[in-house]
Amino acid sequence: MTDQTTVAQSPSGAAEPAPPPAEEAKDARVDPRPKNNRAWWLVLPVVVSVAFTAVIPLMTVVNYSVQDVFSPSERIFVGLEWFREIARDPEVRGAFVRTLLFSAQVLLIEIPLGVAVAVAMPRRGVSVSVALVLVALPLLIPWNVVGTIWQIFARGDIGLGGWAINNVLGVNFNYTLDSTDAWLTVLVMDVWHWTPLVALLAYAGLRSIPQPYFQAAQIDGASAWATFRHIQLPRLRGVLTIAILLRFMDSFMIYTEPFVVTGGGPGNATSFLSILLSKIAVGQFDLGPAGAFSLLYFLFVQILCYVFFTVLTRSGR
Amino acid sequence: MLDWMVWTVPTALVFAGLAVLLIAMTVWGRISPPVARRGFLRIETDRGDRLYIGLISAAVVLAGWIAITDLSMWLALGCALLVAVAIGIWG
Amino acid sequence: MRRLPWARTVFWLYVATLMLPILWMFGMSIRPNQDILGSFSLIPERVTFDNYATFFGETSWYSSYLNSIIYTSLNAVMSLIVALPAAYAFSRFRFAGDKHLFFWLLTNRMAPPAVFLLPFFQIYQSVGLFDTHLGVAIAHMLFNVPLAVWILEGFMSGIPREIDETAAIDGYSLPRFFVRIFLPMIRSAIGVTAFFCFMFSWVELLIARTITSVNAKPIAASMTRTVSAAGVDWGLLATAGVLTIVPGAIVIWFVRNYIAKGFAMGRV
Repeated sequence: MTDQTTVAQSPSGAAEPAPPPAEEAKDARVDPRPKNNRAWWLVLPVVVSVAFTAVIPLMTVVNYSVQDVFSPSERIFVGLEWFREIARDPEVRGAFVRTLLFSAQVLLIEIPLGVAVAVAMPRRGVSVSVALVLVALPLLIPWNVVGTIWQIFARGDIGLGGWAINNVLGVNFNYTLDSTDAWLTVLVMDVWHWTPLVALLAYAGLRSIPQPYFQAAQIDGASAWATFRHIQLPRLRGVLTIAILLRFMDSFMIYTEPFVVTGGGPGNATSFLSILLSKIAVGQFDLGPAGAFSLLYFLFVQILCYVFFTVLTRSGR
Repeated sequence: MLDWMVWTVPTALVFAGLAVLLIAMTVWGRISPPVARRGFLRIETDRGDRLYIGLISAAVVLAGWIAITDLSMWLALGCALLVAVAIGIWG
Repeated sequence: MRRLPWARTVFWLYVATLMLPILWMFGMSIRPNQDILGSFSLIPERVTFDNYATFFGETSWYSSYLNSIIYTSLNAVMSLIVALPAAYAFSRFRFAGDKHLFFWLLTNRMAPPAVFLLPFFQIYQSVGLFDTHLGVAIAHMLFNVPLAVWILEGFMSGIPREIDETAAIDGYSLPRFFVRIFLPMIRSAIGVTAFFCFMFSWVELLIARTITSVNAKPIAASMTRTVSAAGVDWGLLATAGVLTIVPGAIVIWFVRNYIAKGFAMGRV
């Protein structure tokens, strides 16, 4: 095992700086972790296993993006032509705006809703188990099945949801013809599908708050809202960082579910970036433009995630 | 076996450059460990953070340039490098 | 802790809404096709289990079901094995490039899959892992390992460093300390992480479908078979859909207590 080397030295390394932590503890800003480059051996398996699937495909996509590829032996170098084409394509820009809008709506709905669900979730007894299992169910359904479920459920003729809107609410609803209906169907589907993730993470975070905090708040006569705002919410920062980042990444790259339900239509009402991208990559097999497209896409997601990550992890220090 | 990776000279040079940069940063880190400080970016960064931010910003400059103007990309590359260097030094 | 009086009611109403689409699919799975398409009705008028019989009667259906279970479990185990030491390193030591490595790991969740599918196909083909369970399990490590490291690191940072130091003074070597003392302490974190790995691997379709053909074909990919020239076999599709929920439900039943109290010790 590669770990062996660290193992031999590390305990002594960890024991040596024993006195400083007590001193450093006064100043919370100083990172108490000892410096030890041998820790790289512990990380190596992760780097190797991820790099195998991440780096080589990424390099290949970069190579695609500057060429017109017909086959490995027949290809033409085109420089940055595909990037120019993609960056100026009105269809790509439209899809970009649409995807951004979708992600914003998803975050604005799912994060507060998920936290609310977590706060309302039972904390004691058998109902905890039942609640956890039921809430988690939508997360465990393969994504194309989620699409299938909603494709049926939202249909006006054979689906309960679509039927209820048409016949009980009396509103004409047809997601295959009306763009707004299609958008709403995809949005509601995503909220249905992913709010449970936020709820589970927030619930776990809430459970980690020690009881004395609440007792203190109760003695002070704090209102439920004040307790939530000043005791619960700050302690949720960590889990909400995970939730916001995961939800942003996944909603910005949403593909399977809307593809099954609407196929990007009607027109291009629900044609998100990933759907357009697959149309170019898989449908037309234009590897060059698709490569350039996904690199620009990747760049944007990476920037936003870096900003989120930096803001959320540094604000608490 | 790896011909499906469709390598070209320019992309190979870019990746080689990145690899060299990473190695250089590691060696530099060994010689004088990085110090975190605050620059015009207003957040605490060490030189590795600034390298990452600089490279990403350079990519943004290139992408923005190609989306907007038909001017030479060499000019864009110059601007991108300037931005990256500026972030590296004062960021 | 304080809860609003009506919170309980609202919560169970939310759960009921959550269940509606799933129940609707279940309802479809026990109705004959002509009823599904013929008329709208809240309660199935004729109940049949033919679709379930078809599912379990055909090898191609249930073998793809097994395939999914095998590679998902394999993935969860492998992800945990590599992520545990790494998460320990991130939570206990500073080392050259640690922050950047951490963020780089996360960026692997951000690559839009569509274009990466072709290189995936080729890389797995060229190393002989195409259409194997191991291949899919390794491919899914791409997005599960970063998540596992992230979750575990949060838990581990919640455990005081003094414990490591005391163990070192008592003469424990790092691996012995890790296996005998540390792992049992973060049992619930491992449960939660395994659940998330299982979940994300189970629901993923694009990559799994691309790098398999027959021997490791996932259940979700088999479902496209219900679409034929004669139209969609809604009943069978719904049946397969219902059955894909079962393993996940079983897994979460086992880890439910870990989720409830698991994060309690982590600062996550």
